[in-house]
Amino acid sequence: MAVASVVDRIKARIGVAGSPVTAVLEAGHLKRFAEAIGDPNPRWLEEVPPTFLVALAPTSYHLPEAEEYGKGWLNGGSRFEYLESVRVGDRITATRKVADVYEKSGGSGTLLFIIFETDYVNQHGRTVARLRGTAIRR
Amino acid sequence: MSPKVGEEVPELVKHPTTRQLVQYAGAQGDFYEIHYDQDFARGVGLPGVILHGLLKAAFLGQLVTDWLGERGTLKSFEVSYRGIDQPGRPYTCRGRVTKVDGEMVELEVWGEDAEGKKTTVGSAVVQMK
Repeated sequence: MAVASVVDRIKARIGVAGSPVTAVLEAGHLKRFAEAIGDPNPRWLEEVPPTFLVALAPTSYHLPEAEEYGKGWLNGGSRFEYLESVRVGDRITATRKVADVYEKSGGSGTLLFIIFETDYVNQHGRTVARLRGTAIRR
Repeated sequence: MSPKVGEEVPELVKHPTTRQLVQYAGAQGDFYEIHYDQDFARGVGLPGVILHGLLKAAFLGQLVTDWLGERGTLKSFEVSYRGIDQPGRPYTCRGRVTKVDGEMVELEVWGEDAEGKKTTVGSAVVQMK
């Protein structure tokens, strides 16, 4: 019963954008990220590698009600769409929303799937990338 | 030379360590404890700390961008996490060209654990110059 209400309460948030987060892409952050993933490509001193945008702004937002479900989070998957390159000095605004929420039965019980979508827009007002991420409560 | 269907992407073998997970946690800003706190990870039913899904995605991203080089642009990239991976074990990234339609090329990519199990599967679309 409590479980069903968790789903319903998150459903009420579908399509509602969270507060936008704006960040300027700093060379030092980019360098630390490339070092952390172990990718020595010199391109990544100036422009972002494929998954970097997740580090610029959180891709989900805190859903306290989701934490009443299961005991931990799992990342189900990520889909990136790239429209323009992102370079050091760009000011990127990320806007997140819940796109979908549903339950699925698995081998070890029921899982809660929350789909987050994030749009990334640069200082010129152009969308540079989109991300669709699946967060799972188990 | 333009890619052909069936062409294999040169494999990329990564050797993630707990240190790298901490480094990645800081660089991404994902401080979920299952990636660096053994007791916490076991407390939620995991065998120990595990790799961030997005770190494995970054490995697969490198596989694609290393292969592509300056020959084209990455248009989309998708990964699904099918299993957990622990530090201290090699992680092998592989890929193959699945479709060529003019300048658009699709690849399947995947990451294998030390036993050869595909714990991450995905795809990428690139536009050749």
